[in-house]
Parts: sequence; C-alpha cells; structure tokens
Amino acid sequence: MCDNIIEIEHVSKRFGHVVALDDLSLTVKRGEVVVIIGPSGSGKSTLLRCIDHLEDIDSGSIVVDGIPLTEAENIDKVRAEVGMVFQLFNLFPHLTALENVILAQRVVRKRSPQEAEEIAHQLLAKVHIPEKADAYPAQLSGGQQQRVAIARALAMQPKIMLFDEPTSALDPEMITEVLDVMLDLANEGMTMVVVSHEMGFVKAAAKRILFMCDGTIIEEATPDGLTLDACKEERTRQFLSKILT
Amino acid sequence: MTLDRMAYEIETVEPTQEPQAQSLWQRFDRWWLLLVGVIILTYLLIRIRPDPYGRIYRFLGDGMRVTVGITMVSFLFILLAGLIGGFGRISKNPVINAMASIYVEVMRGIPLLVQLLFIYYASPIVLRGIGARLTTIWPALSVRLVTIKLNPFAAAVLGLTLCYGAYMSEIVRAGIESIAKGQMEAARSLGMSYFQAMRYVILPQAIRIILPPVGNEFVALLKDSSLVSVVAVADMTRRGREFMASTFLALETWLMVGLLYLVMTLFAARIVAYIERKTLFVR
Ligand SMILES: Nc1ncnc2c1ncn2[C@@H]1O[C@H](COP(=O)(O)OP(=O)(O)OP(=O)(O)O)[C@@H](O)[C@H]1O
Ligand SMILES: [Mg+2]
Repeated sequence: MCDNIIEIEHVSKRFGHVVALDDLSLTVKRGEVVVIIGPSGSGKSTLLRCIDHLEDIDSGSIVVDGIPLTEAENIDKVRAEVGMVFQLFNLFPHLTALENVILAQRVVRKRSPQEAEEIAHQLLAKVHIPEKADAYPAQLSGGQQQRVAIARALAMQPKIMLFDEPTSALDPEMITEVLDVMLDLANEGMTMVVVSHEMGFVKAAAKRILFMCDGTIIEEATPDGLTLDACKEERTRQFLSKILT
Repeated sequence: MTLDRMAYEIETVEPTQEPQAQSLWQRFDRWWLLLVGVIILTYLLIRIRPDPYGRIYRFLGDGMRVTVGITMVSFLFILLAGLIGGFGRISKNPVINAMASIYVEVMRGIPLLVQLLFIYYASPIVLRGIGARLTTIWPALSVRLVTIKLNPFAAAVLGLTLCYGAYMSEIVRAGIESIAKGQMEAARSLGMSYFQAMRYVILPQAIRIILPPVGNEFVALLKDSSLVSVVAVADMTRRGREFMASTFLALETWLMVGLLYLVMTLFAARIVAYIERKTLFVR
C-alpha cells in the first residue's frame, strides 16, 4: 500500500473563461490533516469537488488510494471511499436523521437493515446527538444538521474525509460542537482535507496548511509557522492579516 | 452567501407535523359543501322538473361514462408521457434533450382542438399516402395503411396524451429541477449512482412538488375532454349537442351539461386536495 492516499498532479479545471484550478499538484499522506485557506474564488471548493469527482478535470491526474479517477467505473468506488461534508449540510430533508445515516449504507454498501441501523445509532452517538435520531433535518439546528451530515459520511467508512467550510454557515455558538467532532476524527487518525478559516481548529488539528490563490497552492506552512513574518508571499500575508485577528 | 442560505432555508422548510388538537370542523375541507350544494341543486332540478331535466340526465348518462373513461385512460398515458418527456428534458444527452424539447415546444404551440382534428381527419390521409407508396416494397403493411380507419376513442386518447403529455413533461422537469443541486451531489458523494440518487433522494422530494400541478392537470383534462366531441366520440358534450339538435331545448340542455361537469370537476378537485394533504404528512 502506498503511503500517499491522495496524489494530485498538474490538475487544471476551468469554467468557461474562469480558471478555477491552475496546474495544481498536491499529495496527502495517510492520516494527515491538511487545511486549505485562501480568498474567496481561489478554487478551494473546486479542488475538494474534483477529489470527490463531483467536477471533471480538464487535465492532469488525481489518484485516490491507488485508484485513478479516470475510468467511469472507478468514480462510484472512489466516492464511497471519500466522505464529503458540505457548507450547507445537504441533508436529505424527507428523511429523519437516522434514515439519513442509513440510506447509503443500504443502497451502496448493501448492509442489512439491522446492521445499518445499528451503525447509524453508533455514529449519531459519536457525533453527540443520539437523542435526535428521529428528528427531521428541519427540526435540527445548523450545528446538529452538520453533525448528522458528518455521521452520514462516516457511515460509508471512508478512508478520507473532505470538509468544505463546514462551519461557515453556522451561528458562532454552534461552531465548536462541529469542530469538536472534527477534532475527534483527526485524533483517531482520519485523513482529512479541510477548507476552513477557523484558526482554533487549524492550530489544534492541522499538520499542514496550504494557502490557495488563483487556482493554485502558492504557499505551505505548519501551524506554528503560520505567522505574518514567516510567510514569504505578499498575498498570503495580506490574507492572513485579515483572518488572524 | 446570504441568498444561498435563504434559498436553502426555504427549500428545506418541512411540512409541519400533523396538527393534533384541531376540531373535526377545522380539519374538515369545507369545499366539500360546495360540491354537495351543486349535487342537491342538480337533483332537485331532476326531481321537480323530470321533463325535460330528467330526460336530459338519462340521455347524457352514457356520455358521462365516456367522458370519465376517456379522462382516466388518457391521464394514465399522460403520466407516462410526462415522465419520459420530463426526464428527456433534463437529460444531458443532446439528442434526447433536443427531441424532448422539440416535442414539448411544438405540442404547446398548437391548440388541442387543432391537434385532435389533425389526428382524426388528417393523419389517415398521410398514412394512406404512405401506404400507396409501399405496395411493392411491403404489400402487407401497405394494405393495412391504405384501408386504415381510426377508432375515434383511440384517436382522442392519442390527441389528449400528446398534448397534455407536453405540459406534464414540463411539470415533471420543473419538479425535479426544483430539488437543489446539493441533494444530488450529497447522494452521489456517498457513492450512489445517478439512478439510486433519483430513486431514493430526488424523486421522493419532487413528488410533493409535482403533485399539486398534476392534480390541476387532471381537472383541466376532465374539462378539455369535451373537445373530443369533434372527433366522433360520444362524450357528454356530444350527447348534449345531439339532444339539443332533436329537441331545441338549448337552455335546459346546456344547464344540465354544465352542472354535471361541475359536479365531476369539483369532486375531482376534492380528491386531489385530499391526496395532497395525505402526502404532505406521510413521508
Ligand atoms: N459551477 C461553476 N460554474 C462556473 N464557475 C464556477 C463554478 N464553480 C466555481 N466557479 C468559479 O471557479 C472559481 C473558483 O471557485 P471555488 O468555489 O472553488 O472558490 P472557493 O475558493 O471555494 O471560494 P469561496 O471561499 O467563496 O467558497 C470562482 O471564480 C468561481 O466563480
Ligand atoms: Mg468554496
């Protein structure tokens, strides 16, 4: 088994005239927590969506856990190995929290109803909302919805978890409850790629911090090195001065 | 961002739970009373003036059955056409998409009455013309085409299906597209195939949005089925015309026909409303 669980080489992606990813390369090691920061429109979401193959890439290659994302039959396989957590949760509103966590286990993993339900209950307990199993998404707070969404992704037993600004749609008092769950995951050794500007989480969990700008990674730092003086690039410093306060 | 957030919140406003402590009167759908009123009025007319209203009513009887029958049969085909057309409209395959779009635009641009007249009176001429040209190539088919005679009921069902199927396609398309893109992405990112995502995530949500307009289409179809009277189908409207032609009782005949249509449409509308309420509360 290869030590690099994600290998991205020279990937470009454009939407019409907009270059969202520009010859971007990145490798992530098994068990690593990588945080991506950068200004709006720099391509952070697009990068995560390409790793989960929600967008096609124009050139370059992405290999996830040894599976290249080129042949069509690999796509569903890779998607099941990669959990994705969205900014706006995207829970299924017609299903209860429990059913949200059960559905893909039954449909994709073909688990028995009993097994799927048991796993779902365990995961809801893991994200600290076992009592909300029968609530519909509309009856949950944003923080609770996001934790159900994390449980839903974990139910597929993914090898990688992608988080796209998981707390930026949340009220401040709910942010910690989601970050706590993410920290637990990081401590368990989950490979995570996180787009987040929550400096508390970044300092506590991140191994590497990547700074994205104009569709490519222009600088890399460790949490300790994430100070204004340590950064070489002017654009990084400008951006950091805004979020570090 | 705030806009996104709002759109999201609107989209996920769930039907509130079933109201618990409501009196029977509050829960009762009061529009049923209007239906009962119209039925009583019709009944009284028939009882108090059996001549001519009773006579008209009995004369219209089979026509009413034909109207109901043609509406029901057509509606089944319309639902099918709407599903096929609707999925065609959202298809990424350019050929399928173009075919579905042309179908919808053409059918919506021609009056239903003209479509029915074309199918019943004009299309046999086209088929006979084709048949005449096939005598040497495919004699068996040629004979069939040259001697073709359209069944009025079938022609009417075909006409209604083609026309209403186009509107239904748009309803299905709009319903599926109204489910936020994020739902499909969430399902796909869990490893579901396109069809699994449709089956378990998109369609169950789309049904709730599609149902009210589909119900309206049913009621509209019930009324528009009166147009099939021009293609020799003995529906209620045609029976009314026949009765009037032999008795010259214009006022009484069309009053009765109008009342009977009203009873049918009010009844259908109530059933539709009932089904809508059911699906709102049941998952
Ligand atoms: N589906 C799309 N169609 C057209 N353009 C797109 C699409 N998705 C992204 N883009 C464009 O690609 C660029 C990168 O977008 P992306 O969403 O990846 O940025 P981001 O870094 O996630 O920004 P934010 O912090 O605002 O979420 C932007 O210029 C955006 O307008
Ligand atoms: Mg983004």
